[in-house]
Amino acid sequence: MRVTKGAQIVAGTALLALAVAACGGGASNNGGTATGGGSAETPVRMELGEPQELLVPSNTTESEGAETLAAIFEPLVTYDENKNAVEAAAESITSDDQKVWTIKLKSNYTWHNGEPLIAQNYVDAWNYAANQENAQGAGYFFGRIDGFADLNPGEGKPVTTKTMKGLEAVDDTTLKVTLAAPFSQFKVMLGYTAFYPLPKAAFGPDGKVTQAYGEQPIGQGLFKMDKPYKKGTDQTIDMTVYDKYPGQKPKNWTKLQFKLYTDSDVAFNDLQANNLDIHDSLSPAAIATAKSTLGERYQDQPDAGVGYIGVPLKYNPELNKVEIRKAISMAIDRKTIAETVFSGTRAPADDFINPAIAGYRQGACKACTYNPAEAKKLYDEAGGPKTLELGYNADGGHKEWMEAVANNLRQNLGIEATAKPFEKFASILDELDAKTYKGLFRMGWAIDYPSAENYLSPIFSTGAIKTGSNYGGYSNEKFDELIAKGDQAATVEEGLKFYQQADDILNEELPYIPVYFYRNNSGYSTSVKNVKINLLNQIEWADVEKV
Amino acid sequence: MGRYIIRRLLQSIPVLLGATFLIFSIVFALPGDPIAALAGEKRADPNLVAILREQYHLNDPLLLQYWHYISGVLFRADFGVTFADVPVSQIMAGKFQVTINLAVTALIIEALVGVGLGLWAALRRGTAIDTMILASTLLLISVPTLVSGFILQFILGVKLKLWTGLDIFPIAGISNGLRSYLLPGFVLAGVSIAYLTRLTRTSLAETLRSDFIRTATAKGLSRRRVVGRHALRNALIPLITFLGADLGNLMGGAVITERIFNLPGVGLQLFDSVYLREQPMVVGIVTVLVLIYILANLAVDVMYAVLDPRIRYE
Repeated sequence: MRVTKGAQIVAGTALLALAVAACGGGASNNGGTATGGGSAETPVRMELGEPQELLVPSNTTESEGAETLAAIFEPLVTYDENKNAVEAAAESITSDDQKVWTIKLKSNYTWHNGEPLIAQNYVDAWNYAANQENAQGAGYFFGRIDGFADLNPGEGKPVTTKTMKGLEAVDDTTLKVTLAAPFSQFKVMLGYTAFYPLPKAAFGPDGKVTQAYGEQPIGQGLFKMDKPYKKGTDQTIDMTVYDKYPGQKPKNWTKLQFKLYTDSDVAFNDLQANNLDIHDSLSPAAIATAKSTLGERYQDQPDAGVGYIGVPLKYNPELNKVEIRKAISMAIDRKTIAETVFSGTRAPADDFINPAIAGYRQGACKACTYNPAEAKKLYDEAGGPKTLELGYNADGGHKEWMEAVANNLRQNLGIEATAKPFEKFASILDELDAKTYKGLFRMGWAIDYPSAENYLSPIFSTGAIKTGSNYGGYSNEKFDELIAKGDQAATVEEGLKFYQQADDILNEELPYIPVYFYRNNSGYSTSVKNVKINLLNQIEWADVEKV
Repeated sequence: MGRYIIRRLLQSIPVLLGATFLIFSIVFALPGDPIAALAGEKRADPNLVAILREQYHLNDPLLLQYWHYISGVLFRADFGVTFADVPVSQIMAGKFQVTINLAVTALIIEALVGVGLGLWAALRRGTAIDTMILASTLLLISVPTLVSGFILQFILGVKLKLWTGLDIFPIAGISNGLRSYLLPGFVLAGVSIAYLTRLTRTSLAETLRSDFIRTATAKGLSRRRVVGRHALRNALIPLITFLGADLGNLMGGAVITERIFNLPGVGLQLFDSVYLREQPMVVGIVTVLVLIYILANLAVDVMYAVLDPRIRYE
């Protein structure tokens, strides 16, 4: 074999370093460096960012903590390939009036400490989560349950009860939930992290979830944590398959290791060197390389998020004419932005509902088609403003595409359009609230539960102006009515029809302008196969196989 | 000497208090609500925000907040908790361990390689070797850490392993013991190595030309003894100053290296905490960094006296 000069130098350096390492040795251990992992003892290694909080379901609203907890807990429902909710820890979830729900639990689930899973575990966990005194980040998810208001009287007011009246454990396997108002999508919500139960062992003598539990949660799911996760020190979260888990287990492996990274590109290097098995958040920079080096091991699939240009309807009357918003929308070259600016990590948006979720209709947003000539004509006829500002938060990689949109508007509408950076997204919201900013703004939405409803009412209903994420202040009576009808519908499918009608209104009126759908770009190493990512962007662990 | 050290340590108390207060006010003055920032891009539940603000004393005026913090540190050795309710001291202990390992590795590499190369160049002044060393230091100085870090990581971490199957340089993380710090340590030391080489070369070359060296050589002392005992010892003083000050720089400047090699150290933590406006975390880290600067400087001053008996402290 011919050795090049360069290789000789590299090898020389390497040998030198090896010698140094050998001298300094002793303290080193073998934390997951084994190569070519064939044995069941070598863990499957998965990339993760540092969870924001300790691992408590009701206080976890971000994806990294949720991913960890999803491995430890079994939700009441999971989602099948047709995007429908199917029972997991639950035997059945039924309701006659969409208001009173009866959840029957399967009887063969046990906690990792051996105790059986009972309905009371859900009651305890949910009451704890909803109580404002416990300041849980996901507490608002329980807002639809009757009695939530009693646990949330507001700042400074004492909470007089510890339980929601809508929550009752009828017997060990039956949970009765009464909502404040009918909601046809309630079953779909139940797959979310906030709805996991908690064992008795989670609570300390003061009734609060203990710090020890947050470091090593006891769940009732596929994996059991090996040791406490010390935030700030540990760089891995290690787990082992729980023997008594009644569901499907991985075929030929038992150990799972989450490796924490701060930079996605570093994780990608580790993946290339086979120090990592699964990486589900490849950066745009890594994708070009990933396609060529990983081949079939590179995956690209729809992700439920949507990116919009927000319109401050409430604060800027100049944008109230729907023709102006349509013209702006038609002037945006979504395809080029998705392919060039985002290197294909986004898809052009053509509806308010993402294709990953049931209810999406291709091309539902007519004004989302690029048509500069028509746009110019509409804009001039409607007398649109001569200058437009496009606000974005400079901390999240939005500069490029917002500049591209501004360019489109300048060229196609013949107006003065500028992209304006803000420090954080919250700064844009603050200025919108103070009515000091009247420009368009960037906005993104990642769903909480995979229902079409989640793209509509939290962002566009009148009620969401005060309490939700309706930052533009859009309000439409007809829309609110249709949402309410969808909420009261007898089945998930029937509800969907009303939601789609509400979606039609949005596509016609464009309170926001949808620009792109997110994609999920992942890759895996040569030591695993059959890696599937579900609707919640989590890996289906039982399907993963070692090669 | 003992009195001198004690006086220096006492002097550092007002420095520390001043620094903490300054940092505290700067973080306090940053725009945006820290609790709202926790919710990411969704609007945080107003009721929850109010409760958390109360819990973390965020509604109090600056001075009161500072008092809450500093009284905890002074009387209870309690550095407070982060927004995730984890004690700041627990996180700091873990992160400083990593950064100290990294900085010390870098310092050792820097001292060995930098002084070594400088010595070699000084003794071979004007030859091809001297020119080559000078040219390579220029290269080291001009390539940013970000570039050299990624390139070395890719070549030595990814490609070398794929080609040879040898896992010598871990790409990321600290799970491989001391080996984890080799490559990042070298990258972090890079620019300093260059400066140190040039400093050693100049300093030694100058000393070698002075009268007492000529005298020593004339007395018939061996070349080894002249350079080793007489010249080097005198040339070391500026080098020690540089190394001492550099330890502080390495500790604070590790942000980029820690990011490239995924080391969970202080630099990254500081970055995140400033972003989230976690006052206790930011102030805690900065306080320890200031303390390290002070101690490193003190150590440098003490070293002077050891190296040059003419220097005395009162």
